Amino acid sequence: MTKNTDSTTCEYHVASFVAYPILAQLDEVKKAITNIEGAEIHVTSEEGKIVFTMEGNSYRDIGTKMDIIRVHKGIINLSPVYHQILDETDNEKNEDQYKEL
Amino acid sequence: MTINRREFIKANAIAAAAAVAGVSVPAVASNLITSSDITKLKWDKAPCRFCGTGCSVNVGVMDGKVVATHGDIKSPVNKGLNCVKGYFLSKIMYGKDRLTTPLLRMTNGKYDKEGEFAPVSWDQAFNVMAEKAKDALKKDGPEALGMFGSGQWTVQEGYAAVKLMKAGFRTNNIDPNARHCMASAVGGFMRTFGIDEPMGCYDDLEAADAFVLWGSNMAEMHPILWTRLTDRRLSAPHVKVAVLSTFEHRSFDLADNGMIFTPQTDLAILNYIANYIIQTGRVNKDFVSKHTNFRLGETDIGYGLRPEHPLEQAAKNNGKTAGSSTPIDFDEYAKFVSTYTVESVSKLSGVPEHKLEALAELYADPKIKVTSFWTMGFNQHTRGVWANNLVYNIHLLTGKISTPGNSPFSLTGQPSACGTAREVGTFSHRLPADMVVKNPKHRAIAEKIWDLPEGTVPPKPGYHAALQNRMLKDGKLNFYWVQCNNNMQAAANINEEGYPGYRNPKNFIVVSDPYPTVTAQAADLILPTAMWVEKEGVYGNAERRTQSWYQMVEAPEGAKSDLWQLVEFSKRFKVEDVWPEELIAKKPEVRGKTLFDVLYKDSSVGKFSLDEVPEDRLNDDARDFGFYIQKGLFEEYATFGRGHAHDLAPYDRYHKERGLRWPVVNGKETKWRFKEGSDPYVKPGSGWDFYGKKDGRAIIFALPYEPAAESPDEEYDLWLSTGRVLEHWHSGSMTQRVPELYKAMPDALVYMHPDDAKKRGMRRGDLVKLISRRGEVQTRVETRGRNKPPIGLVFMPWFDASRLVNKVTLDATDPLSKQTDFKKCAIKIVKV
Repeated sequence: MTKNTDSTTCEYHVASFVAYPILAQLDEVKKAITNIEGAEIHVTSEEGKIVFTMEGNSYRDIGTKMDIIRVHKGIINLSPVYHQILDETDNEKNEDQYKEL
Repeated sequence: MTINRREFIKANAIAAAAAVAGVSVPAVASNLITSSDITKLKWDKAPCRFCGTGCSVNVGVMDGKVVATHGDIKSPVNKGLNCVKGYFLSKIMYGKDRLTTPLLRMTNGKYDKEGEFAPVSWDQAFNVMAEKAKDALKKDGPEALGMFGSGQWTVQEGYAAVKLMKAGFRTNNIDPNARHCMASAVGGFMRTFGIDEPMGCYDDLEAADAFVLWGSNMAEMHPILWTRLTDRRLSAPHVKVAVLSTFEHRSFDLADNGMIFTPQTDLAILNYIANYIIQTGRVNKDFVSKHTNFRLGETDIGYGLRPEHPLEQAAKNNGKTAGSSTPIDFDEYAKFVSTYTVESVSKLSGVPEHKLEALAELYADPKIKVTSFWTMGFNQHTRGVWANNLVYNIHLLTGKISTPGNSPFSLTGQPSACGTAREVGTFSHRLPADMVVKNPKHRAIAEKIWDLPEGTVPPKPGYHAALQNRMLKDGKLNFYWVQCNNNMQAAANINEEGYPGYRNPKNFIVVSDPYPTVTAQAADLILPTAMWVEKEGVYGNAERRTQSWYQMVEAPEGAKSDLWQLVEFSKRFKVEDVWPEELIAKKPEVRGKTLFDVLYKDSSVGKFSLDEVPEDRLNDDARDFGFYIQKGLFEEYATFGRGHAHDLAPYDRYHKERGLRWPVVNGKETKWRFKEGSDPYVKPGSGWDFYGKKDGRAIIFALPYEPAAESPDEEYDLWLSTGRVLEHWHSGSMTQRVPELYKAMPDALVYMHPDDAKKRGMRRGDLVKLISRRGEVQTRVETRGRNKPPIGLVFMPWFDASRLVNKVTLDATDPLSKQTDFKKCAIKIVKV
């Protein structure tokens, strides 16, 4: 699990993406993704589609990281799929929610 | 504990993306229970608020706030994908400057056109509005009232507005901002096929062998469709992509044949392709002889400017006959296009001959299934209807139409440009289901469905968008209500035509918006508006797909939906206030009633009770009016199209589906229209049936290349094209408030060729002025980046409220569609 890099917010953000790379540059693109803090590749399809997640502590954090991939020369298309935020301000509340399970 | 919750939502995120990519789910996400149990999220579906693609998104609500969105895996449109705008969709409602109270210009507690904005109650706001509307009616009659609406209105809002304006106030001065976006496409469909909207659907994306983009930057403007196109191109190596534009943009990255042409010469290229098909003997003669007619169109039709403009004085046929045509035969048509040779068109357009030939061959080769896509390049064009007609010519000559992969496809820019603006008929000349106000039979049908006396709907088409601004300036349109758009930023030539009209002392301007846009700030009264999932509604996308959503969260206190505003305002008018005595005498039972009673509550709109609103659903509008108003409006509106090739399903079904493509007949949607076997309206045995025309034949039009309204000259030596960018939706009033999107594209720059910059002593980042004959705007130079204009042309987007490029654009319109050409005018650039 990636740790928050910025302690200024109490939010935990996770977002997932599908990247469509130029096949000849697949390895380069994968390397670029894994170089980003909080990014993790989970699976790559036979056609080269890369499924990865990014974790961070704000929309801005995720957005900045996303832009690094989006403008990569080996990327034809980057599709954001999912984004969820956990407000971790109130830890007690979170614990209560968890206990309800 | 928190770590576990994090792992859980991360697994959800992985599962969603893996499903989109079509790969098996990694072990970590394979044993999920529903996330709502853990995170207390309530998920529901809604169509995206932005472009006309019509993606479905899942919206996650917690504690009354939208906190998560993701692409809807069940949606046939986006199949779980999101674009960057859709990705940040949940944030558009939570901008810091969201409006929550009506604001009226006042001095010493009273309305004053020159006063400052001050908060007032809704009651006070409606009091002043009603007084101003009644004054205008009394003084100059219904033509002094007008409304500018939107392809972002829900279907129900558009329909309620049409009924209020055309039947209640008895004025046709209502037009949507779709006039800037889709009017030429509408004109093209009506002229060639006699019925509006594309015959094909998005399934063409997986069936075509070749795609041709005409003035469409799908990579930025329709990213999800672009993803599907990219997928097709990469998974089927034989597939070819051709891209035509007046400057290089992101869609060129995937192009096998990218072509930069001189503005306006697309007309000549289209005629060249027709000529090539004929010259190489590849006309589908059987199809052409059975399913088409040929006609020669009127030419020299002017540029839709004010009548005193020298270009209008010079035009021979810019009057009522501009859209007329005469029958010709195939040989006459072949002769007409024969002058459009590869040599002459290459010289005119600047596109190399081999590229033109490769493009023409895609259409001519009978084995290649071709889909043509276009958006504003064709539509925002002083010959926009012609451009639409000419691309249909090519598909008709080859019979490449209405079958999977063979599709001339006009893409839309707004989420309900098709559903609301076109199908509901919020245009100044239209009624629902493609009917028009000037046709007495159509008016009679509307009056019958609305249960109103004969003669209620006025026959004269009202002021269209460009004309509304001119009439405001001229003081002939005095009460004006703008909803769901930002026209002071979006309309051309706002310096000379837009702003003077809003600030004309004779006029009272009301603007409804969630945010204080440029338009709102130019108004006299601002009404705070609920948006998207803060209300219930229906949108219709570019492939005829109708989609509904429920209200999911409360609007900020004080903000009300456009629908509520329209209907609540109608309570302020007695029938006697707005109808002449002779009309009331035809239906005396309306005497003493309000427009709310007559148009909504006591009509078929009011017949669905609150019991039909699901108990666990929010629906502030319905509960406020006391009946299920969204269902009533939808069902009454649907009456217009059922049995007339515009059939919609029962309202409740849309809440269960990810949309259905009309016509929906016997519960089944229609993918390809006009083709036997896929369209139930086609006559058996006919093969194809273009039933919008009485004889079932589509029209191939002979129409020439004619020059643009304004071209560069010695003083104003550059072409200016305006347009959009990926990160911002239209005028940026929502997306500029999402910090991530603002950061990604904060300011509108002027993109220019490095040689053009060098020639003027400018460098990247320099502050410059763009100057036209109408005004000037300041910005910075960009010589790199995603848009690469050729020498002689610059591109500047219009999303930036701090740099209004429409101060310099020209309000020339297509005389047939009345749509403005935002892609061509002449400017000069000087260093500041």
